[in-house]
Amino acid sequence: MLTLKLAFRTLMKRKGRMALIGILVAFGTFLIVFGGVFAASAAEASRASIIGNFTGDFIVYSARSKELPSPFAFATPLPNIKNPEELSAVLDAMDGVEAYSFYAQNYGLIQVEREGKKLDLPFIFYAVDPGPYRKVFSNVQVEEGSFFGLPPKNGTEGKELPSPGILISKYQNNQYKENYGVTLKVGEPITLLGITEGGVNTARSSLLGIFEPIRYKSVFNYINFLDSDTYAGLYNFTGVDALPDAFNAGLAAASVDESSLFDLAADEDFGKLDLSTLTSQSLSGFTMVAVKLKDHSRVDEAMALISAQPELGVAVARWDKASGFYAQISLALQAFIFLATGLIFLVVTMIFMNTLIINVVERTAEIGTMRAIGADKSFVRGVFLAETLILNITAAIFAMLVSVVLLALAGKNGVPLPETVSQFLIGGGPLAIRVGILPFIVALVTVVAVSVLATIYPVSVASSITPLKAMNDR
Amino acid sequence: MNVVELQDVKKFYMLGQTRVDALRGVSLSIGQGEFLAIAGPSGSGKSTMLNMFGCIDIPSEGTVRIDGTETEHMSDKELTRYRRTKISFIFQSFNLIPVLNVYENIEFPLLLQRTLSRADRHARVMKAIEEVGLQDRLKNKSTELSGGQRQRVAIARALVTKPLIVLADEPTANLDSETGKRIIELMRTINETEKTTFVFSTHDAHIMKEAKRVVRILDGLIIDPDQGKEG
Repeated sequence: MLTLKLAFRTLMKRKGRMALIGILVAFGTFLIVFGGVFAASAAEASRASIIGNFTGDFIVYSARSKELPSPFAFATPLPNIKNPEELSAVLDAMDGVEAYSFYAQNYGLIQVEREGKKLDLPFIFYAVDPGPYRKVFSNVQVEEGSFFGLPPKNGTEGKELPSPGILISKYQNNQYKENYGVTLKVGEPITLLGITEGGVNTARSSLLGIFEPIRYKSVFNYINFLDSDTYAGLYNFTGVDALPDAFNAGLAAASVDESSLFDLAADEDFGKLDLSTLTSQSLSGFTMVAVKLKDHSRVDEAMALISAQPELGVAVARWDKASGFYAQISLALQAFIFLATGLIFLVVTMIFMNTLIINVVERTAEIGTMRAIGADKSFVRGVFLAETLILNITAAIFAMLVSVVLLALAGKNGVPLPETVSQFLIGGGPLAIRVGILPFIVALVTVVAVSVLATIYPVSVASSITPLKAMNDR
Repeated sequence: MNVVELQDVKKFYMLGQTRVDALRGVSLSIGQGEFLAIAGPSGSGKSTMLNMFGCIDIPSEGTVRIDGTETEHMSDKELTRYRRTKISFIFQSFNLIPVLNVYENIEFPLLLQRTLSRADRHARVMKAIEEVGLQDRLKNKSTELSGGQRQRVAIARALVTKPLIVLADEPTANLDSETGKRIIELMRTINETEKTTFVFSTHDAHIMKEAKRVVRILDGLIIDPDQGKEG
């Protein structure tokens, strides 16, 4: 009680200097709380945006792939998933899976005719199964036409089959106009050109819709959509259900050495395949499956279930690994905020320590007197520590109250961010603020820790003052 | 029994490469209830001697006994406890705690002792305040008091713990002569009524006259240990 009384009165006596320290501590606390809330909100918004736009909770991809999935792997597509039906069966059987969508990334050309001239327009796309894709992702707002002929998302979904065709972004259409003088119109027939190892394939298609990306405009402005059936045809993802057993056995035998291969070629019966007995099968060409879970917190558990089945020939990548650099941006932001806050607190600590040392020097006689009268060193330490804690915790609480008010105001409409920052961090738009208790706890713990740390040296100076100093004070 | 005893106490300091001998072999005994002045010019060693009595400095050589106990090997904690219970100080510059009022300053050493109840503390504080005649200044801060009043508060603070000995280092040096005289008279009255041992340093001849015994010191040596000794 005596310690607190002395500490409080000393603070009141030196309120000018202490107010300055208090303001610094309050500012630091405000930064921690605001920075923490901002970083946590950004991390949450970034996670939700990445999951809702690019990856789902996790991506399943071919185990043969040497690269991780990425939203930008158009130039180096991942290997195809070998057994999509088996994978689908596994995913269907998993309780926690809300929806999943096979898809692939690739590029090709759109060929249109204008005034008798054929124009080839570049076309980067996601090849999707439209229904499932829309169950996993909410990344486009169709402005003209429809999403592959499906009714609006909150309409009678699932009751109609999707139509084959393409969707392009509004930005892409403007680019076509700007660079090629061509504006595509919904319903317009087009020819798609797919570049494969065997040459250029073509497919008749039509423009089903023009969309505006909801988020990540810097990515989705350049990405278009193609239905998976057209994609499979265009890129030769077609085979037969099964070859005759004798044919397979012959092939297997011929693979032993060169002479057996020539023997096989000489066998007239071997080459006589009855094509009518073969069932044509459209292969998917899908390279990835985005899986959306009912409960995001169970993502690792769900991934482990799939990883435990090597016969599927697939690997899994969590949303943050499969998002390219987007998740890293959020992490980098958090690191920056913590680093900046740490540096500011370091400066505050130094200033505070300096002020305390000045205090100690000015109060040498007072401390010496206390020691002469019979105060232990621990009492002197207690007085200084109490002064520091009273001042800093009061400043911290004040800053927290201000933060709560400001965060409540900011939370109403979100915090507007510069467009470029917003695009990379959360996919665009204002940052929705989510106020949690953690930044407040972190701020308080930091302030207490900094207070104690900043007090160590001045207190050691103070407690080393001998009663002799009181005697010598003239 | 002697309250304080110095036996061949030497104290030297190093000022750079130069050795300064503050005390050069001092032996002195102070009995219970004495009212003793240590007299000498500035730099003679009187403050150093008081510091030895008060356990706030340790001798380079020799022995200091307080209440029969040698202080040489005591830890800082033990010396602090000794000061808290057996020794009180009156400083030349009063040395009141600036953020505390008169009452709180006097109560301060009792709070450090943590032995008395609130009521007992209050009774002790009020008695000490009455002895120095500051009943009407209880709530005043030290900055609101005159020099004489501040020193009275310091005397009350020194007396409130009922110490074995009160050490006063030139207690009148910052006071005008009339006020200084009244302060010494007050100390002497308390010495006579409460039998409290007072040791004070001074170089003022008028103040010295009030002492029952004067010990003269010069260049770190006692030159006249028994002048005016009673009995």
